[in-house]
Amino acid sequence: MQRFQARDLSAPWRHVDIALAAFTVLIIGFGLVMLYSATRRFDAGLTPTARQGLFAVVGLSIGAGVALVNYRKLLDWWIPIYGVAMVFLFGVLTPLGSEGDLGTQGWYRFGIIDIQPVEFAKLATVIGVAGFMATTSFVGLKRLVGALILLGIPMGLTLAQPDLGSSLVFIVAGLGLLLIGGVQLRYLLAIIVIGVVGIVAIMNSDTLSDYQRDRLLVFANPDSVDSDVRYNAEQAQTAISAGGLTGYGFGNGPSTRLGYVPAQTTDFIFTVVGEEHGFVGAGLLVLLFAGMCWRLWRIASLAADPFGLYMVVGILMMVFFHVFENIGMNLGIMPITGIPLPFVSQGGSSMMTFCIAMGLAQSVHMHRYS
Amino acid sequence: MDSSGSQQIRLSAIGIVVFSLFLAVFFRLWFLQGIDRQEFEAASFSNRIRVLHEEGPRGRILDRNGKVLVDNRTSLVVALDREPLRQMTSDERNALFIDLADALNDLGVPIKVERIERGYGDLRYAPQAHVPIADDVGEEVEVYLRERAERFPGVIVKRTTTRVYPYGRVAAHILGYVGEINADELERFGPEANDESALLELGPEGFEGHGEYRLGDSIGKSGVERSYESVLRGKPGKRVIEVNARGDMVDVVESEPGEAGNDLWLAIDVDIQAHAERLLSTKIHDLRGNYVNDVRRGAVVGLIRVNAPQGSITIVDPRNGDVIAMASYPDYDPNLLVHGISQNLWTQLNDPNSGQPLVNWALQGAYAPGSTFKLFSAYAGLASGYLSGGNEVIEDRGVYEVENCSGESCTFRNAGSTQYGRTDVARSLTVSSDVYYYQLADKFWNLRGQYGETPIQDAAAQFGLGSRTGIRLPGEQSGRLPTPEWMRSMNEQYPESFPRGIWQTGDSINSSVGQGDVLATPLQLAVGYATFANGGTQYQPQIVLQATRAVDPALPPGQAGNYTVIYEAEPEVLGQIDIQPDHYDKIFRGLLGVTQERGGTATEAWNAEPTAWPFAGKTGTAQVTGKADTALFAGFGPAVPGVPAEYAISVVIPEAGFGGTVSAPLAFRVMKPVSEGTLIPACHVGQEQACEDARRAAEEAAAQDVEGSQD
Repeated sequence: MQRFQARDLSAPWRHVDIALAAFTVLIIGFGLVMLYSATRRFDAGLTPTARQGLFAVVGLSIGAGVALVNYRKLLDWWIPIYGVAMVFLFGVLTPLGSEGDLGTQGWYRFGIIDIQPVEFAKLATVIGVAGFMATTSFVGLKRLVGALILLGIPMGLTLAQPDLGSSLVFIVAGLGLLLIGGVQLRYLLAIIVIGVVGIVAIMNSDTLSDYQRDRLLVFANPDSVDSDVRYNAEQAQTAISAGGLTGYGFGNGPSTRLGYVPAQTTDFIFTVVGEEHGFVGAGLLVLLFAGMCWRLWRIASLAADPFGLYMVVGILMMVFFHVFENIGMNLGIMPITGIPLPFVSQGGSSMMTFCIAMGLAQSVHMHRYS
Repeated sequence: MDSSGSQQIRLSAIGIVVFSLFLAVFFRLWFLQGIDRQEFEAASFSNRIRVLHEEGPRGRILDRNGKVLVDNRTSLVVALDREPLRQMTSDERNALFIDLADALNDLGVPIKVERIERGYGDLRYAPQAHVPIADDVGEEVEVYLRERAERFPGVIVKRTTTRVYPYGRVAAHILGYVGEINADELERFGPEANDESALLELGPEGFEGHGEYRLGDSIGKSGVERSYESVLRGKPGKRVIEVNARGDMVDVVESEPGEAGNDLWLAIDVDIQAHAERLLSTKIHDLRGNYVNDVRRGAVVGLIRVNAPQGSITIVDPRNGDVIAMASYPDYDPNLLVHGISQNLWTQLNDPNSGQPLVNWALQGAYAPGSTFKLFSAYAGLASGYLSGGNEVIEDRGVYEVENCSGESCTFRNAGSTQYGRTDVARSLTVSSDVYYYQLADKFWNLRGQYGETPIQDAAAQFGLGSRTGIRLPGEQSGRLPTPEWMRSMNEQYPESFPRGIWQTGDSINSSVGQGDVLATPLQLAVGYATFANGGTQYQPQIVLQATRAVDPALPPGQAGNYTVIYEAEPEVLGQIDIQPDHYDKIFRGLLGVTQERGGTATEAWNAEPTAWPFAGKTGTAQVTGKADTALFAGFGPAVPGVPAEYAISVVIPEAGFGGTVSAPLAFRVMKPVSEGTLIPACHVGQEQACEDARRAAEEAAAQDVEGSQD
């Protein structure tokens, strides 16, 4: 009887991580409210918010569906998933793709829907590397090289757009995966050294567009670059700081309302939170993200097998790096590289990807006893 | 399992890194919003808030009867709002400027592209301030540009008030002009000004002004526009606006309209002023180019050209010091200065060859007063007791030899070496005997142990000579009363210009007849004669009567009942001379004789154009080496015992000839219609026929020459 009950308790639906789901929904709700505030001045009414809400609903639905499927099925599917993602990521560089606002060749435009394949590719790469590390029998250097190739392909394709922020995501998620995958620390150190040399080389080559280089340099040496770039960073910090403890109130942030905050619906949406809701609101959002990361970390530590572990760590690193880099650049402690704040920045591709990622994490949690 | 244990450690490591970085984000957030907030809040505020200052309209300037001398009118100005222009590429901007210049030229506003470019790059204006590029454009320009705001981003038309002068050039020197505040003025009067007393330069006490000057503000530059700046200046208003990231105005946060300044009533009577100016300028035009004898030591040595580069007529009221008229020639058209002064115009206005039209010679010119000074010498002689003690009558043989002295430099002559015979104080003034005063000065110097070294200078000082009268107009000269002490110190300081440091008898002698080193401004002469006329009260000359605020701004500011007085200038007594009645009578008789007695130096001039009541005065012909004589007249009327004199006048024209033939007739011509009450009102610039008639009448009058004495 006891055994029966115990087996019964292992049913997947009984192991939904309610907290993670709650954090996800709360962050999405918070994000929609802020998006509404940030787009009000365009006289756009509810449209952008409704559109983003629709993405959220679709994304959450897909995520829920993914959660119900046993994540282990992906062990059979990681190669096609990774492969398709890479094809799309490559395709965007061909004439099929289009340029975004800031000159990155990173979009497919289908009528009213724009798709940014790199967002999906981030998750696909996590799945791919996790799948590769979990299924290959050889260890040590060989496995490392294989993982590095799997990481290197999307990184290269992303840099070619060029989208520096996203390629950094591959590095950070990759480092997390390699670390948890048991790669010896001396190799990791070597990789970091090579990475640093690589970054320096990239900075001095023509890979990055001028604006990207400026955005990075403004962080290191504010006086060295054109004032427009410094302007973005200063405006963001000014607006956030002016919000103070409780902020100007919803829809009242002057810098937001008057358009002083650049890219306030996407890269700098955290500024809107800071200005309008102050330390209370912005701090709450940071706490929600920290809570989300804590749940992901917990799922990773409870994971039943290496594949689940790798995948969730990859997702954790991906979510964390987005949050840290995005909020960090809003606060002036990280260089400005355009990557979205998960669940909050305007954009369907990012919303879908992170919803699916949460679904996968849930799946790892729910199916750990199956 | 080893790998599982290692995995746990690695997972923990990831957790620690994630946790620490979240902590970092949290601290940074707290640092920005909790600690550094105020600093950034200010930055956020200055980011989006612009304060636009708008000057209130200046008060108007009226004459003593409420006639408007300076008014305001609205004018349209094309200006650049540089915020949107800065967002453009330089190619776009250049194209816009060329397009704008073409459009403006087509609309009849002559402007060069360089002018627009200069305006765009003008660093004197704050980045948000509007830079004017074309003044006084027509309504059609405003309509044209408003309708094409898309084509001309950053080009705006704004309304400003501009000074307008209904009487044209009349009283231009007194009124002064208004211009944009310069760096020096901004430092002295602006927000950082630390010298409170500097503000007194801009207005009487109690009107310390609104102080807050900003770049681009207007400020009075000369005349009463300067000295009553704080009375006239409007209270600036401001509009606080919120702008978005593109610099477009989104909202008016606060609006405080400017207030008009106070209306200023001058003591000037514009009818007399215009009349005097007209006669002065026609007289000077008439004089120019003539030749007179060049006389040295009583002998004609050649001919000398009459240049009459300048001249002035000053009329004050002896009863209270009111300045009724103050004409200075050459004049200028203040309308030329309302939109700032070009370098060319500035040079022209200050060119000595054109007579420095900006200078008000009535108080900025200092001249040897010549025989007009004898009033003060005569008073010194009587008051000291020397003349009244039995030495009054002398025999004037036309020449005076200094006692105990021999040689050519010991001989002093009357003009033309005329012998006047038995001469007392009154006669010495009437016929203008120099010998009488040479002797007086010689005695005074010889008896300096008894009378002091400078009895004559001291007396003149009591009448206001040698120091500024303190009239509230900028630039007044102090004139000069030379003394042995002064001579010594000048010699010490400037040995080349003043090779002699020891005062000699000749210096006393020259000074006694207003020659030598004596200098007086025309205003000082008028004040000196006014002081005598009223029996010895020296009033400070007042240029302003009162300041008022209009009750209904739409009605004329001088209309009875339409104003409330907020400031009244009180007559100010600078000194009181206790003139003994018999001394007064003697001098009075002498001065009256100048116009009324046979042999009086201005009798013929007065007879040619007699005033309605007797006029008393003194002619003066001051010699200036190498130039024609300075022609002077100073006097007062009505000159009737027991009747207070209403007008004291001085007429001074350098390089012009004799006082009796140039200045005295001019003085009577000015005073005649005033005394008769037949003065023709001053004409407005619009009244062409009236102005033309007045001009012609003045020309005819100037052409009438009178014979007169040489002094």
